[in-house]
Amino acid sequence: MKIAVCVKRTPDTETRIKIASDGKSIDEAGVKFVLNPYDEYAVEEALKLKEAAGSGEVVVVSVGAASAQETIRNALAMGADRGVLLKTDAVSLDPLPTAKLLAGELKSGEYDLIFFGKLAIDDYSHAVGAMVAELLGMPAVSSVSDLTVDGSVGTAEREIEGGVEVVEFPLPAAVTAEKGLNEPRYPALRGIMMAKKKPLDVKDVTLPEGGLELVALTLPPQRQEGRIVGEGPDAVPALIDALRNEAKVL
Amino acid sequence: MSQFVPADYQPKLPLDRLILTDPPSEERIEMDVLFVGGGPAGLAGAIELAKLVRADNEQDGSLGTVSIGVLEKAGALGEHSLSGAVVNPRALRELFPGLSDADFPFTTAVTKESVYLLSDRSATRVPTPPSMKNHGNYIASICEIVRWLGEKAEGLGVDIFPGFPAEALLTEGDRVLGVRTVATGRDRDGSELSNFMPQADVTAKVTALAEGTRGLLSQAYCEWQNLTGENPQIFALGVKELWELSRPLDQVIHTMGWPLPKNAFGGSFFYPLEPTVGALGLVVGLDAPGRSLDVHELLQALKTHRVFREYLEGGELIEWGAKTIPEGGFYALPPRRSGDGVVMLGDSVGFVDVPSLKGIHYAMQSGIFAARAIFSALKVDDTSGSTLGAYDRMVDASFIKDDLYRTRNVRLAYKDGFYKGSVKAGLMTITGGRMFGNRIDMHRDADVPRDVGEKTDLIPDGKLTVSKVDAVFKSANATRDNIPPHLIAAADVPAEVAEFYTHVCPAGVYEVADDGLRINAPNCVDCKATDVVGPRWMPREGGSGPAYKRM
Ligand SMILES: Cc1cc2nc3c(=O)[nH]c(=O)nc-3n(C[C@H](O)[C@H](O)[C@H](O)COP(=O)(O)OP(=O)(O)OC[C@H]3O[C@@H](n4cnc5c(N)ncnc54)[C@H](O)[C@@H]3O)c2cc1C
Repeated sequence: MKIAVCVKRTPDTETRIKIASDGKSIDEAGVKFVLNPYDEYAVEEALKLKEAAGSGEVVVVSVGAASAQETIRNALAMGADRGVLLKTDAVSLDPLPTAKLLAGELKSGEYDLIFFGKLAIDDYSHAVGAMVAELLGMPAVSSVSDLTVDGSVGTAEREIEGGVEVVEFPLPAAVTAEKGLNEPRYPALRGIMMAKKKPLDVKDVTLPEGGLELVALTLPPQRQEGRIVGEGPDAVPALIDALRNEAKVL
Repeated sequence: MSQFVPADYQPKLPLDRLILTDPPSEERIEMDVLFVGGGPAGLAGAIELAKLVRADNEQDGSLGTVSIGVLEKAGALGEHSLSGAVVNPRALRELFPGLSDADFPFTTAVTKESVYLLSDRSATRVPTPPSMKNHGNYIASICEIVRWLGEKAEGLGVDIFPGFPAEALLTEGDRVLGVRTVATGRDRDGSELSNFMPQADVTAKVTALAEGTRGLLSQAYCEWQNLTGENPQIFALGVKELWELSRPLDQVIHTMGWPLPKNAFGGSFFYPLEPTVGALGLVVGLDAPGRSLDVHELLQALKTHRVFREYLEGGELIEWGAKTIPEGGFYALPPRRSGDGVVMLGDSVGFVDVPSLKGIHYAMQSGIFAARAIFSALKVDDTSGSTLGAYDRMVDASFIKDDLYRTRNVRLAYKDGFYKGSVKAGLMTITGGRMFGNRIDMHRDADVPRDVGEKTDLIPDGKLTVSKVDAVFKSANATRDNIPPHLIAAADVPAEVAEFYTHVCPAGVYEVADDGLRINAPNCVDCKATDVVGPRWMPREGGSGPAYKRM
C-alpha cells in the first residue's frame, strides 16, 4: 500500500500570536511551530494502514520554508518512510497554489491514498485536500473520523451536524482527517534517531499565482470582562436590560 | 498540633526505583556520552564536547565519531526553564570565543540598578551590596538562551531529545551505565492507553547529570554513594511572572523586607527583559518556620506595593512559573561530583551563588569543564571515576569554587532571621568572607520545625493579583488530566501538614479535603518545592508540565 500524507508546519495553538509590522503576517519571533495537529491524525492513520497491510510506503510531503524539514522529521520519527519538502519561502494563504504544487508532486506517485488534516490550524481554509483530489481526478472524502479499507474500497465515517454520515469510495482517493480518527502515537527515542537518517528530498519550487490577496490580519477582540448583574429572580430585569441595551441580542 | 517537623511526614527517596541493578534491556540505545537535562549546564557541556571531538577529528581522527545525546523532560527545549535572569556572560564567551556579546541571546545590558528595603508603605533605597552589582551583565530569558544553545548543539551534531525524562540510573557495581526513560501513554491507574510507548534504556560511556535544581537522579546518586557535603543542601522557591508593563522600566530592581515575615530569607527581583516587558519574581528560603508561608501569595502581595504597581497596573500578565534554587552554597557541595561513568553539573549539585542570585554561568562553566574531562577520558578509553575526577579538579581551581567560597556563609547567616542575618552578612561581604568565616552549621529544610505563622490575606483581583489556578493557566501547563500521579506523599498526613503543603506548592497541586490530602497532580509545574519538604516528585510522561516561553 502506497500512501502519501500532506503536512504543514503551523504555530502551536498555545502560542501567543503577534501580528508583524506589515499587518499581513505574524511575527515569528518566539513562536513555537508544530506539526499541524490534524495532520498528526493523518500520519497516524497512514501508518496504521501500512502496518495492517504488512507492506508499503508512507511518504510525507510538505510545502513550506526550509524550517518545515523539522516538521517532516516529526512525521518520520512517528514512522513514515521518507519525506519530500517542496521548498518555497513565499507564504500563501490561498489554498489553490499550494494544492497545485502538491498535486504536481503526487500525480506520478501511484498512491493508493493521499491523507491530509481536515484543516490547518493557522489559516483554517479546509480546502487543500479537496483541491488536490480535484486536480488529480480522484474522490475527496473530508473530515473523516473512522476509516476502513478493504482491497480497493474505502468506507469512511464523517461527522456531520447532529450525526454521522457513512460513505463508500473507490481507491485511489484523498482523505482529510478529523480529530478522533485515532490517537496519534508518540515518537519513540529510537524512532527519532532513525528519522535523522531517513531520506528527505528538498525540491525548490515557485508558488504559482493565486486568486486571493491577503489584505490584513487582526487579532480577535479582547473578551469583555464578565459582570454579575445581581442574584436570584430579582436580577432578571437587570439581565434583560443588559441583554437588550448593551449586548443588543434581544 | 501546633508544631511539626516536615521530615517526619516525608517519604524516603525510593532508591530501589532509582538505582537499577538489572542489566540494561537488550533493545537499549547506545551512545557515547549522554547528558540528562537540556538546561545551560547540559547544553554547554554537549557543545564543548562536540567541539573538542570535531577538532580532534580534524587533527588526527584517533577518536572517531562520538555520539552525544541530550535527554530533556520538557516537550521542547526551554519549556521547563525558568530563571531571572541577569546573566554574567563569561561562560558564553569561553564557549564561543569567536562570537561577541552582541551575538548572544541577551536582550539588554544592565546599566542602572537599585536595591530597596520595603515596608508595607515605604521603600528605602539602600546602597547596592558589592555582591549584587551587575555592571557588565546582561538581561536575558533563559528559555531563549536554552533554545539558542540547542540550535548550536544540533549544528555540531548533538542529538537532542525533548520529551524524554530519565527516571532511573542503570548501574553495575558503582558504575553508572546510563538511564531509563519514562514510558508514555499510561492511564491514571497505570494501565496502557492505545498510544502507549514503553520506556527505553539508554546507555553511555559517560552519563552527565544536568537535571538542574533538586535533580532526582543526582539526589539518588549522592544518596547511593553516600556523598554528603559538610552541610546539607537547602533550597529557596522562586515564583516568577512576566508582565507587559504599562510604562517602561529602565533598571534592574531588587527588594528586601516586606511582605516577607522577619524569620524568612528572601527578596524580589524586577528586570526589564525589554523596556516594556518586565520579569518579576520573589525568592524565599524553604526553611522559614511559618507553616502558612506561601511564596505565590507573597508575590501577589508584593505587586500591590507602589514600587511595582506603577509599572504593572494597566499592563498584562503574560506568563507565570516557579522553580526552586539550591542555596546551600560552598558547604553543601557534594565532596565529589564525578564517579565511574558519571559527572554531575550545574544546579543539580548546587553551583549557585546566593547573594548575587546567579547560577547560569556556573552551570555552563561546569558543563564546559565536564566536557573537557570527558573528552580526555574518551581519549585514553578510561571513564572511571579517577579519570573523570579531572572535572572536580578543574572546578576546584576555578572561579566557581572561588565565588562560592567567598560567599560561603552569607545565606547561612540568615538562619536566625533577617535582621541578625543582614548585619552578619554585611560584615562578611565587607571583609571578603573573613568575618564569621567558620562554617555555620545548617539544618535540612525539612528538619526545621514549622509553627503557626503569619498568613497573607489577599483576595486576588484577577488583574494585578492572581489565584494559583489562574497562575498555572499562565504557565501553559497542558498536562493531560488522566496522567498517573507522580507525587508520592506519606499515607496519613495530618490536616496541619496537608495545609502546609497547600502553601508550599505555588501551583495549587495540594488541597485539604475531608478525607485528608488531595493531590491535583496535573497542575504540577516541576518546581520541586514540596520534594524538598514534603511529597516526593517523580518524573512523569515527557512533555508534561509547564510550557514556558520567555521565562
Ligand atoms: C527565580 C529564579 C531566578 C534566577 N535568577 C538568576 C539570574 O538572574 N541569573 C543567574 O545566573 N541565575 C539565576 N537563577 C539560577 C539559574 O536559573 C540556574 O542556576 C540555572 O538555570 C542552572 O542551570 P542548569 O542547567 O544546571 O539547570 P536548569 O536550568 O534547571 O536545567 C535543567 C534541565 O534538566 C531538565 N531535567 C531535569 N530532570 C530531568 C530528568 N530526570 N530527565 C530529563 N530532563 C530533566 C529540566 O527540565 C531542565 O530543562 C535563577 C533561578 C531561579 C529559580
